[in-house]
Amino acid sequence: MNPYLAAFVSGMRRTVAPGELIVRVGFYAVILVVFAAVWNAAMAANGGEVAGYGFAGILWYIAAAEAAQVATNARMIEDIGNDIGNGTVAIELLRPVSVVGLRLASEVGGAVVRLAGTCALAALFVPLAAGPPPSWNGVGLAIPSLVLAVCCNLAAQHAFAGIAFWLEDAKSAWFLYQKLIFLLGGMLLPLELLPDAMSGAARLLPFWAMSYAPGRLMAGYVEPWLLLLQVGWLVAMVGAAVAVFSSGERRLQAVGG
Amino acid sequence: MLAIEVDRLTKSFVLPSKRIVEAVRAITLSVEQGERLAYIGPNGAGKSTSIKILTGILHPTTGDAQVLGFVPWRQRKELARNIGVLFGQRSQLWFQLTPMQSYKLLGAIYGLSREELERRIDEYGSLLEAAALFDIPVRNLSLGQRMRCELTASLLHSPRVLFLDEPTIGLDLVAKQRFRELIVRLNEHKGTTVFLTSHDVSDIEQVAKRVIVINHGQIIYDDKVSVMKRSLLRTKLMEVRFDEPPGAIDIDGVQVLKSTDMGFKLSVDTEARSIKHVLDELLDRYSVGDISVLDPPLEEVISKIYETPRR
Amino acid sequence: MRALAATWCSAWLDAWANRRSFWTQLVVMTINDSVWVLFWILFFHRIGEVRGWDTEKMLLLFAILTTAAGIALGVFANARKVGQLAGDGELDATLTLPVDPLAHLLARRIDPSLIGDLAFGPILFALAGGPTPERIALFIVGSLCGAIVLTGFLIAAGSLTLFVGGRGEQADLAFQAALILASYPIDFFGGVTKILLFTAVPAAFISSLPAELVDSFTFQTTATLLGSAAFFSLLGIALFRLGMRRYASGAVWTRA
Repeated sequence: MNPYLAAFVSGMRRTVAPGELIVRVGFYAVILVVFAAVWNAAMAANGGEVAGYGFAGILWYIAAAEAAQVATNARMIEDIGNDIGNGTVAIELLRPVSVVGLRLASEVGGAVVRLAGTCALAALFVPLAAGPPPSWNGVGLAIPSLVLAVCCNLAAQHAFAGIAFWLEDAKSAWFLYQKLIFLLGGMLLPLELLPDAMSGAARLLPFWAMSYAPGRLMAGYVEPWLLLLQVGWLVAMVGAAVAVFSSGERRLQAVGG
Repeated sequence: MLAIEVDRLTKSFVLPSKRIVEAVRAITLSVEQGERLAYIGPNGAGKSTSIKILTGILHPTTGDAQVLGFVPWRQRKELARNIGVLFGQRSQLWFQLTPMQSYKLLGAIYGLSREELERRIDEYGSLLEAAALFDIPVRNLSLGQRMRCELTASLLHSPRVLFLDEPTIGLDLVAKQRFRELIVRLNEHKGTTVFLTSHDVSDIEQVAKRVIVINHGQIIYDDKVSVMKRSLLRTKLMEVRFDEPPGAIDIDGVQVLKSTDMGFKLSVDTEARSIKHVLDELLDRYSVGDISVLDPPLEEVISKIYETPRR
Repeated sequence: MRALAATWCSAWLDAWANRRSFWTQLVVMTINDSVWVLFWILFFHRIGEVRGWDTEKMLLLFAILTTAAGIALGVFANARKVGQLAGDGELDATLTLPVDPLAHLLARRIDPSLIGDLAFGPILFALAGGPTPERIALFIVGSLCGAIVLTGFLIAAGSLTLFVGGRGEQADLAFQAALILASYPIDFFGGVTKILLFTAVPAAFISSLPAELVDSFTFQTTATLLGSAAFFSLLGIALFRLGMRRYASGAVWTRA
């Protein structure tokens, strides 16, 4: 079998182990319940509409934006940081395949399973809480956008892991990264709700491609060019990840392992 | 006076598959104070489970036990003040701190005064030849050094019984040898009862005076080590690599177990022929490239126990 | 007591051994908390007052939550690890000591990043909580009660591992759920969810009710808070004690 496909499948298998998936989907369920309550209250205080989002729109937005986050491996930056630190990556660099490619394939495999779990839950919960999605065309675009968002996020985390190495504390690096997505990626609030200067800055950064894009499409805004921009950012992030890892390889050769 | 008394002790675990495993089955034994006992068996035989019940970590399913007059699972704290426990694979010491810092904490936990604690740290530091290690962070110690510091930690409150669970696991030969000597020295100087589990045959020969063998949760052998040596540990294994094909090997008391062109695996009956004799003869008569002497694996000893009729 | 104090000192020394990491984690946690403050400012700026909650009251809630979490997860860092420690058989070493295992475990580990929370909460309260002597006293009482409820709840959830097996996954979920739910005002929720937040996942007692106490003191709120703190600490202790009889020292899982 193709090594990347094999890594993808083994990533899927690992995630299907019941414990992990249940905790993830349970976590996601809590988030949906919380945001359904928060936005229900907030919409009632604002005549049912904020910045073009109604209650159904905003809940579907949150469902997609959160799903893209929950589907990624929360400890990955930590794991990569550890693997760089303890020399696992150094050994992997000796294999005749792309380290980043192999790692990404495995992580995407795991993420796809978690994505399926969270989407299934959203499909049950959100219609009951807020009604059907505002636009089926939007849903059609949101699904590939979710996968792109996850891939983009995973690639960016590999690039960010370089910083984890520099901070010597991968957990801290993960916290910072996560907070960038929370605010500038539009995970907590759609970018339209941020002050103009902030949302303008957010649109120039890659984080919106990991959360806002699928949320926006799911909320009923049929904006296909978002997908194109996501692909662009994905290419850039994979490039950055490859750069970080090959600099690791150069370092390895310089110090002789 | 008896240090340990165990009566029909049984412990079963329920596996996630709902299957019930009896790790320890109706074990009965007693240990005198001051004894050095090796409690041995292959992996999964029930050694650790027994030791964990006797130290109060696990509750047994049925049966009774007393250690120094305490029922371990009911009087765990009182017992803990009177016994020392050393697990080969779990640390008492704080990884980021120095042994000395951990000892100070243990002093507070056992309610020792500062003078008393310092006196004991000095005493065990010299007895176990470890005093120089006490101010180095544990993360920077080798396993052998760490184990000596761990042993000091489990002795600070002057326990009357010392439980050692696989203490030599992972140590290199020199460190193992040293550790065994220290245990014997401790027993002889302080009269501490030693209860040692292991699956290493040398641990029995060099530390214990009495040996109990446990297999599949049951005691299958209980006798003096000297008796066991004569009846069960009569053989040593020898691996020899010759520089040129030796042809047939014909030495009294030596049996060829396996051979290839140049490599031979021999079994030596040490009652019939001493190892020294066999070595001399081999080196005299053949061109030997490399040679090593090994203990028979525990599994072999156990199968011999089953072959030997019970007294 | 001397033993516990000494254990606690060792835990600080242990966390302090890697100074650089200690400070990194502390600073990063402060940034993390600041992002949440920013979020709430943006939220209420755009949405306006919601069910009696505005920026000011929300920041009060957040100050209490970070203080309580700092204590429950930072100072008693093992509270949320009870399930994992029990499942992996990591309690052996503790059980060979003549100490109460639960108290020893709680004193045994400090988490520097959550100590960042513990620093952030009081500072936020001082800056945005309108501190008067009376409010400061209520803030301390409220945060402590919240911390005790959270600690007791985490121990109870972790102790379930000793009954149902696993490595504390359900405790991990309970921990995350409690923290997320406590991050939002209780008045945003209604119906069954609201009932659950006072019972199964006691998030209301961790943040909203203490905030209520600081803002508008009544004896009833005080009694409710103290009662919940007593209940959840007893629940945690009882479940842990019962569970320890079934402690298997990791044997079940290594043999499976």
